[in-house]
Amino acid sequence: MSIIRSAKSAGALYWPVQAHRNIGVRALFLVVLAFLVAYGVLFPGLFTASGFGKFTQSWFPLALVAMAQAILMLTGGISLAIGATVSLGAVIAATTMAGPLGVAGGAAAVALAGLGIGAATGFIVVKLRLPAIVVTLAGSFIIGGAALLILPRPGGAIPAWLSDLLAGDTPAAFLILVVIVLLWKLYLATPLGLSLYAAGENPVGAYRSGVPVDAARVAAYAISGLLSTSAGLFVAAQTGSGDPVIGTAFTLNSIAAAVLGGIGFLGGQGTMRGALAGSLLLSLMISVMFFLGFTPVAQYVAQGLIIIGAVAIPQFRKVQQ
Amino acid sequence: MTTVPPLLAARGVSKAFFGNPVLRGVSIALQPGRVHALLGENGAGKSTLINLLSGALRPDSGEIEVDGRAVPRMTPALARQAGIAVVQQELSLTASLSIAENIGLGAYPKRFGLIDYNELASRAKAACALVGLNEPLSTPVGRLALGRRQMVEIAKALYRKPRVLILDEPTSSLSATETKILTDLLERLRAEGIAILYISHRLNEVMALCQHVTVLKDGTCTADRSLAGTDAAGLVRLMVGRDPGDLFPKWRPSASSANAISVRGFSAGLMRDVDLDIRAGEVLGIGGLVGQGQEDLLLGLYGAIPARMASATVNGTSGLPGGVPKANALGLAYVPADRKREGLHLIHPILTNMMLPAFARLPALRLRSRRAEHETGKSLAAQLAIKGDLGRPAQALSGGNQQKVALAKWMPHDPLVLLLNDPTRGVDVETKREIYLMLRAFADAGKAVVLLSSDTPELVHLCDRVAVVREGRITATLDRAALSEEAIVSAAMGAEKQKVAA
Repeated sequence: MSIIRSAKSAGALYWPVQAHRNIGVRALFLVVLAFLVAYGVLFPGLFTASGFGKFTQSWFPLALVAMAQAILMLTGGISLAIGATVSLGAVIAATTMAGPLGVAGGAAAVALAGLGIGAATGFIVVKLRLPAIVVTLAGSFIIGGAALLILPRPGGAIPAWLSDLLAGDTPAAFLILVVIVLLWKLYLATPLGLSLYAAGENPVGAYRSGVPVDAARVAAYAISGLLSTSAGLFVAAQTGSGDPVIGTAFTLNSIAAAVLGGIGFLGGQGTMRGALAGSLLLSLMISVMFFLGFTPVAQYVAQGLIIIGAVAIPQFRKVQQ
Repeated sequence: MTTVPPLLAARGVSKAFFGNPVLRGVSIALQPGRVHALLGENGAGKSTLINLLSGALRPDSGEIEVDGRAVPRMTPALARQAGIAVVQQELSLTASLSIAENIGLGAYPKRFGLIDYNELASRAKAACALVGLNEPLSTPVGRLALGRRQMVEIAKALYRKPRVLILDEPTSSLSATETKILTDLLERLRAEGIAILYISHRLNEVMALCQHVTVLKDGTCTADRSLAGTDAAGLVRLMVGRDPGDLFPKWRPSASSANAISVRGFSAGLMRDVDLDIRAGEVLGIGGLVGQGQEDLLLGLYGAIPARMASATVNGTSGLPGGVPKANALGLAYVPADRKREGLHLIHPILTNMMLPAFARLPALRLRSRRAEHETGKSLAAQLAIKGDLGRPAQALSGGNQQKVALAKWMPHDPLVLLLNDPTRGVDVETKREIYLMLRAFADAGKAVVLLSSDTPELVHLCDRVAVVREGRITATLDRAALSEEAIVSAAMGAEKQKVAA
């Protein structure tokens, strides 16, 4: 078998691969940059330390749920339970952190709840071969109900120092986001992580190639759950207390952000950097329109039109080819 | 006598799907250092045999052997461990991943739990070099042309350093240069002692490359012999040559001289530059290997996919319909091959299915007359011998009766041209006979019947003329006098160039 052997030098591969993944999101990055500039002009405080901190704090939970949704959409799935899971994370944080478990114990509880719910959802979807949209719709009722059982009305507490650290005058949110992105890069550099793409786009081919398709998909659901409850913890820290329905809007916003970021519904299409940029764009759009004095109704209509446009433009290009 | 045990072998394997036998007692032995050809018509059981050998399916009876030892429960994972690599016809690639990431998929080299991109790059590069892929390894596979993707697929198999390499029609999407690279490579791999199973419809490739051949016909092995001393014509005879029996109605001329459809320079989908006259009162067969563009020809004529042409006349009107409602108005009807998804609405009653084209023609908001529908349905059922209560869902019917419903729904509109896409696929013999009788009766009544079929005998025995499609072009039009299974298969495989003037 001497002719099938390793070549001596192949040159770097990792970075060129990354560069190719940027191609699809270049235009999006430009749009985001334009919105950032517009926002900076309208609201010069963005470029001060505290303005930057505040801005990233308002973006942070949306960034997390966009990632949570994108990782599922990459596997060909979707979740309608993200909002409910965010709420659950918020009420768990607000009921445990001020109690005997303390902040560390409460954070662990939030993380375990997210991983557990995600893994269970993933197991049902993947092993029982049920449609993700139905399982997660049912899940949203169950998880939302659980949140209401734990904390029937807004209350609980987050230790003040934690609220100050995460949502006060600090860049903590931005730094945490950087760490999360680095962890994601690390995950995508593992065989299981990269298998997401193959499992989402061509599950049969991936299975034949020896990819653990089911494991990759269940892991994606678990990670998605962890990101969602973590977003809940952060929202609780922002408000200083827990609210059992605070996450509701995140379900549809997470889908909107992922779609804006170029994640396809068919699985395996898009990149996490795109989803993050999509969430940033959505966050900026909301802020800019608010600043320009759009009424809430006009904001929603504009948001909807922009999302349809964002999905239609690549489609038109494809048709032209 | 060979003393070395075969690297991979099947011993008397049988496999049936839903009681329908696909393989019956087939044996095959892949020896090291030999390129073994597997030949057979569409549906002869080649893909099933590959799936058994690679563990994707398990045989109902018989055994799979690796190195002469029986493996009772072959799985894809075991097959990979045993060094068996399969290059499937459908690609197993992921468009958004790079060439290297695709090649290593499922077997990435690891360092500290992470993918070792340097090692992956050097090993993928070695595999790419073998197949002449010189695109940067970081290129996403989605940007490659189909032929290049096929080469990535082959490189992916080589990356795993196989002892047994199974290639299912690897050259169907390759250019001549790429085919040459592949055949040279296979020659080298053979010299290294790898066992190769090569499935191809291109007989000249098989003759040039392979040393041994197994021929499958209707799920049984009709030949297992050395290729030395065999010619292409002999192989074709081994693949076809069955007794048509009295399945087909007696043929008598019914074609008129008037053209129902006439197109010049017609292109649609895969089809290019087709000149075709379809006469009223004839059954025109469309033959060829699966997926050469035949379906696009029918869909293009029907206006279901965009088509371009120099000129066209349909039932005296110039120009093609360009849309399904217009096609129906011009007297065209199309019966799709996939009756479960395209031909019928399975969960709805048989009667509703029969009435669908009528619904499309009635004014949108006029109230339906249940009684008239029922009358029509009953007479159609009687006419086509469709058994069963018309109120039951269409899925309750057998495949053959479903096909009759798919055909029946057009009858009230008395179409002048029937475009049929493989109407007898998966249909029992008795219903086949009924359908054949019906088609001849339509032709006798002066309708034009266009019969796209993957079943060569029915083309030979039923049709007035057969147009054979190969790589998007009509490569031969065979008149009744020139019709034979050998002639069709030869034209379909490009074994000889011939054009019998129509």
